[in-house]
Amino acid sequence: MADWVSYYRGDGPDEEEDGEQQEEEGQEAVADHRFSGRDSLIFLVDASKAMFEPYEDEEAATPFDMTMQCIRNVYTSKIISSDKDLLSVVFYGTENNKNSADFKHVYVLQELDNPGAKRILELDQYRGDEGRVLFRETFGHNADYSLGEALWACSNLFSNVGVRLSHKRIMLFTNEDNPHANDSAKAKLARTRAGDLRDTGIILDLMHLKKLGGFDISLFYRDIISVAEDEDLGIQPDESGKLEHLMKKVRAKETRKRALVRLNLYLNKDLSFSVGVYNLIQKAYKPYPVKLYRETNEPVKTKTRVFNGKTGSLLLPSDTKRAQTYGNRQIVMEKEETEEVKRFDSPGLFLIGFKPLSMLKQHHHIRPSQFMYPEESLVTGSTTLFNALLMKCLEKEVMALCRYIARRNTPPRFVALVPQEEEVDEQKVQIAPPGFHIIFLPYADDKRNVDFTEKVPANREQVDKMKEIIQKLRFKYRTDSFENPVLQQHFRNLEALALDMLEPEQAEDLTMPKTEEMSRRLGNLVEEFKQLVYPPDYNPEGKVAKRKQAGDGQAEKKPKIEISEDSLRSYVQSGTLGKLTVSALKDMCRHYRLRSGGKKQELIDALTEYFSGR
Amino acid sequence: VARERNGSAIVLCLDVGIAMSSSAPGEESPLEQAKRVMTKFLQRQVFAESKDEVAVVLFGTDGTKNNLASGDQYQNITVHRSLMLPDFDLLEDIQNKIQLGSQQADFLDAIIVGKKFEKRHIELFTDLSSPVSEDQLEIIIANLKKTGTSLQFFLPFPVDGADGHGDTSASIYPQLHQNSPPRKRLTAQQKEGIDVVKKLMHTLDEEGGLEEIYTFRESLERLAMFKKIERRPVPWSCQLTIGSDLSIRIVAYKAKVKKIWTVVDAKTLRKEDVKRETVYCLNDDDETEVQKDDTIQGFRYGSDIIPFSKEDEEQMKYKTEAKCFSVLGFSRSSQVQHCYMGNQVLKVFAAKDDENAAVAFSALVQALDELNVVAIMRYAYDRRCNPQIGVAFPRIKDAYECLFYVQLPYMEDVRQYMFSSLKNNKKCSPTVDQLSAIDSLIDSMNLVYEDVDGETFEDLFKPSKIPNPHFQRLYQCLQHKAFHPNEPLPPIEQHLLEMLEVPCVVKERCKAPLEKVKALFPLKDAGKKKEEKTAQDIFKDDEDGPNAKRRKIEDEEDSFSIMKLAEGNVTSVGSVNPAEDFRILVRQKNADFKDVSQQLINRIDQFLENRSSQYYMKGINCIRAFRGEAMKLSKVQCFNDFLQALKSKVEDKALADFWEIVVQGKNLALAMGH
Repeated sequence: MADWVSYYRGDGPDEEEDGEQQEEEGQEAVADHRFSGRDSLIFLVDASKAMFEPYEDEEAATPFDMTMQCIRNVYTSKIISSDKDLLSVVFYGTENNKNSADFKHVYVLQELDNPGAKRILELDQYRGDEGRVLFRETFGHNADYSLGEALWACSNLFSNVGVRLSHKRIMLFTNEDNPHANDSAKAKLARTRAGDLRDTGIILDLMHLKKLGGFDISLFYRDIISVAEDEDLGIQPDESGKLEHLMKKVRAKETRKRALVRLNLYLNKDLSFSVGVYNLIQKAYKPYPVKLYRETNEPVKTKTRVFNGKTGSLLLPSDTKRAQTYGNRQIVMEKEETEEVKRFDSPGLFLIGFKPLSMLKQHHHIRPSQFMYPEESLVTGSTTLFNALLMKCLEKEVMALCRYIARRNTPPRFVALVPQEEEVDEQKVQIAPPGFHIIFLPYADDKRNVDFTEKVPANREQVDKMKEIIQKLRFKYRTDSFENPVLQQHFRNLEALALDMLEPEQAEDLTMPKTEEMSRRLGNLVEEFKQLVYPPDYNPEGKVAKRKQAGDGQAEKKPKIEISEDSLRSYVQSGTLGKLTVSALKDMCRHYRLRSGGKKQELIDALTEYFSGR
Repeated sequence: VARERNGSAIVLCLDVGIAMSSSAPGEESPLEQAKRVMTKFLQRQVFAESKDEVAVVLFGTDGTKNNLASGDQYQNITVHRSLMLPDFDLLEDIQNKIQLGSQQADFLDAIIVGKKFEKRHIELFTDLSSPVSEDQLEIIIANLKKTGTSLQFFLPFPVDGADGHGDTSASIYPQLHQNSPPRKRLTAQQKEGIDVVKKLMHTLDEEGGLEEIYTFRESLERLAMFKKIERRPVPWSCQLTIGSDLSIRIVAYKAKVKKIWTVVDAKTLRKEDVKRETVYCLNDDDETEVQKDDTIQGFRYGSDIIPFSKEDEEQMKYKTEAKCFSVLGFSRSSQVQHCYMGNQVLKVFAAKDDENAAVAFSALVQALDELNVVAIMRYAYDRRCNPQIGVAFPRIKDAYECLFYVQLPYMEDVRQYMFSSLKNNKKCSPTVDQLSAIDSLIDSMNLVYEDVDGETFEDLFKPSKIPNPHFQRLYQCLQHKAFHPNEPLPPIEQHLLEMLEVPCVVKERCKAPLEKVKALFPLKDAGKKKEEKTAQDIFKDDEDGPNAKRRKIEDEEDSFSIMKLAEGNVTSVGSVNPAEDFRILVRQKNADFKDVSQQLINRIDQFLENRSSQYYMKGINCIRAFRGEAMKLSKVQCFNDFLQALKSKVEDKALADFWEIVVQGKNLALAMGH
């Protein structure tokens, strides 16, 4: 149960319980920074007056407010999920300027750096009406900017960072679809700069915001934006008029996708193509605490030594072995041998065959699924074969069964490759990528028998009443519907401490049922359902009376059911005998010397007949 | 004897009579076969940590040792081991101590002796060659029935001439089946024995009795697989709530067992001898140690580290009010597919012995099923636990109705990755020919046959019938090591590997379609098989070609000037030329390798503090020198420990770029011992 108590990754027995899983998650983290450098993202924000003008029809935030809110959200979510990423905010179209090349009307608010509390606080200053005033006083507006220079300033930011960057991205927020309509030189410069960015592997995304009369990409931006090779949908998403939609566009691109592993899918032993395997879901943990020196609050180094308790001599890794005990015998292996035991074959997916999709049992869940997408870098031509397989699996409604070894010392698992068709929503944002879900299948030992409770089927009326209840409480589940209240509270507490706030902001706990709203929607349905299923004296909250007497296991005396003849008669008249328990009904049948055996309905029938006959 | 544990008792009665030694040429004797079956059975029990106690009774022994023996009654029957949990001593005993006797004994007598344990299962291993006295049969049967004792026979031959039902039930391991060995003619005595056995078993259980008679061979096949530890799932009682006014009493089950490795001292093999201590030190030059009491806890908030004491954290953290299983709402089931989290399924039933709850629960399960919707739940195991969001979906079987609960991700857990469209990309659109090749491949590799009636399926490959090969392999290795602690691990058993393979029929059938696919899809190795190197790989890669590596090291050393050695003016590892200083110092007489390498390590640490590529290269050179000398002077462990320590240091300090160089660099991997 410790896995529920503790929430630090790898703290306590949790680690062992999820060993296999954690290993893999850990592995991704290793691949993250060590080998490929840091991810970086610049928010390039249009600060011309138009961005501060409220939309006519809505009292909603201005485009600028929406942008800042969105950037803030990215900052806080990066702090939770990937605080090593570098972020920066740059304004253009300002009166004042601040950037390494002294370009006019380009203001670097925040250089590329890890997100932190102070930076978030700084962003918050410029929100709302007061923020707009402050912005005007601090930076001013000037329409005489050159987008090319703004892009150049961004590229300078990338090159001035001391660490290696693996992924460089600029998100451009604007509601002006033709910034240099009357200045072909500036337009040309912007195109040239954009080309330079593309050549140096910097991705430029357009986060275009709603504009009166519509935002026409073809006027200018079509030549400016560069789509990452691996994110090409062939279409551009719509302009955003709402924060929710803007967030969706930003979120789809803010994290660099990283393959958990790249490997071959073998159709047989000498025919294979390559795929990348991704985790679309990865548990976000509360981070480890850091030890600080009390006097100075500086982090201290932690060293762990392993030594022999008797002799006090240090134990090197080779001075220890691993052991398990079975049948009164401690069995010892070298650490390497414990690894070797897990080694079966080299990594890869090995095709076994195909089965109808309908044979996938959703209650056979053992581990979160992974996602598979073709990988051209190992075997060229993989994408076409992958695509053909995907199309045919979708068409024939089949899944592929494979043996899966993710890495060298991982024992094989069987997986079902379930095809997924690409889906984009009405605003042309991808909501389901094309590829296969890798669903882990259980082995014989993964299945357990439990001591099930005998069923007592509900009748039609009862089921239908429940259906009414269900229909009233329907909503559309989305994977981002619920925030983790534990994490949110933790980070809000930190935020409050970091920013010297008096009280931490209380995170709204979305996991709590909205009971008032539910009661309102349900009205009388719950009462009606309860009358159908529960006897009036039944209290589901109460403790069950212990039926078995301690000590003598002999025939226990059943408590006499005390239901007066009158109340029984009223049950019969209202046809609600079914609410009584079978044993109660049996007792009554016995009491009236009726047949006291058989199914519940037979007992009810017997009683009904008895009373209606009198 | 009162028993606290609720396992049952099993009595293994083994015939060691003289006839058990006779076998057809080239065949194992019935005794050896019986011992193998028993061994397999006990191994399974041991690794499954079964709570069943086992006793061994031998009959046909030269001596007599049992409580019933008196006069000429119950002679030549020995209670070899009383009821106890099986262990490796018993296994060794069976292998080494149980010998053929020279006598014969009545197996019915053995049953009686076995039954004296008054427990539940008796397993009889015999070839039925001893004379049987039938006079007590009725009493025995009555007694067995009364005490609810079950009886199973294990014989070297099938009772009905054919090979019994074992062949069909073991059909998922068809490769295990060998051809039947030539069968000996049965003796008259054996035939008589068979009749008694049949009579006995038939009276005990009219329908299933004869199915409790097994041949040695089929038992071996069935027992070839190890059983995983079985633990009863723990029930969890709670109320399922819908809104504030509707509760249904439920019980749910979850369980998880995984044995973990304990660390023991390599010499004493005691885990108590391995102690760990953690020290804290400041990040200054001297690494000043500080007491644990002088440290406080902090957390990273992006670039900031926020001091946050345990007490404050405890007070301010999110608190779960109580255990709960509450409906948040209902969704179409298609909306929650493929996003399950966690590693388990919680099975939820109505509370036991509560008919009202059962009816209410049934209404919910049926309604969900009919509407094809699922419940989105908030689930908290208890007050100390963090709440989960999850989905509950219905399942209706003949005997029970239940909900399966699986965890769903929080917003923070979801990676919204975007992938290029495959549809809108002309470059990867397959041709008609290519598509039809895939089409026939899928058909040829179909694992499921629809029966003529169109309703039932035959599934050629069911992973859920295959035991997890990881555990099979682990138990095989553990068992091997239990008896042969100093030998290397045995190879993986062939039948285990075969279970994981494509069924032969399918393999044959898909040959042609696969050729077609191969011909139609141009696939080319891109050449840059850039293996994503993980630290683990580096630590392992010295297996391939240590010779090549060693030669390189020697080459490198040519550049090192011997002249310097003579100069003798190097006294410590300096910062200008540390690698060279190091090489010189370790070659000096009375050189203390540990001390000198510590000096070198300090230098490396300094270089790392500077965080610039120029210093990194210096560091790398030092590491290379360290490795070279360590290998030469058989101080490999010294270097390997350093490298391990470096690895963790690098992680702490986010020196990813440096580690990258180490990883990619030549001659920097873990050194091999000799």
